[in-house]
Amino acid sequence: MKLTYILGIIIGLALVIIYYKFNPEMYNFFPECPFHKYLHLDCPGCGSQRAIHALLHLDIKKAAGYNLLLVLSLPLLITQLAFKIYSFSTKKKLVMRFWYNPNTPKVIFAIVMIFWIARNLPYTPFNYLAA
Amino acid sequence: MEDQKPQEQAPFGQQPFGQTPFGNQGPAPKNWLVESILVTLFCCLPFGIAGIVNAANVNSKYAMGDYAGAQAASQAAGKWTKIGFFIGIGVYVLYILFFVVLGFGGAMMSNYR
Repeated sequence: MKLTYILGIIIGLALVIIYYKFNPEMYNFFPECPFHKYLHLDCPGCGSQRAIHALLHLDIKKAAGYNLLLVLSLPLLITQLAFKIYSFSTKKKLVMRFWYNPNTPKVIFAIVMIFWIARNLPYTPFNYLAA
Repeated sequence: MEDQKPQEQAPFGQQPFGQTPFGNQGPAPKNWLVESILVTLFCCLPFGIAGIVNAANVNSKYAMGDYAGAQAASQAAGKWTKIGFFIGIGVYVLYILFFVVLGFGGAMMSNYR
């Protein structure tokens, strides 16, 4: 179990360095999303590699232009990470009750589907959401 | 990672007959919601959505007192999230291998898209 954490941290750090140094828009050794490649439509995760590159350079506005959903979910994900680190370091089980509310997954599902459809519409207010 | 259990969760609504409120209810089974969101956002393939739908099933069935149903939904959620995760990793590894075979030099020069 401890080895998994150490390996995870090493791989995570390597990915952070790669995504900081190389802009996915300039180099094509970053994999393109198969959904986008074959259907020429954006999925909810499209643009997240470029968004990560922008975020690592602290350019939140640019990151939001690539994938708004990723940027909006960051506060939640960071809170979850903080809970994880706290419960790992104090050996106390502390869980966000938010994730176990019966309405949370439904709302998240609705947001993801609306985002997915909206970012593929070719009209003016929506095409800013495209990757 | 796998010990996400709320301390206590009051069951919503009416309890079915023959079940005491604190009878056969354990802690809520892991609903894989965070992992599904991560798969949806970072793995491109929309398998994470199947995970989110099953996470919704886990929470609503647990809230209704259907503990067995919640556990089944939890397993389905875990299955879809793992499928999405490993396909994402697989695409990544295949892509890197493809470039190693083609030669890294040419790959560095050309433009993305």
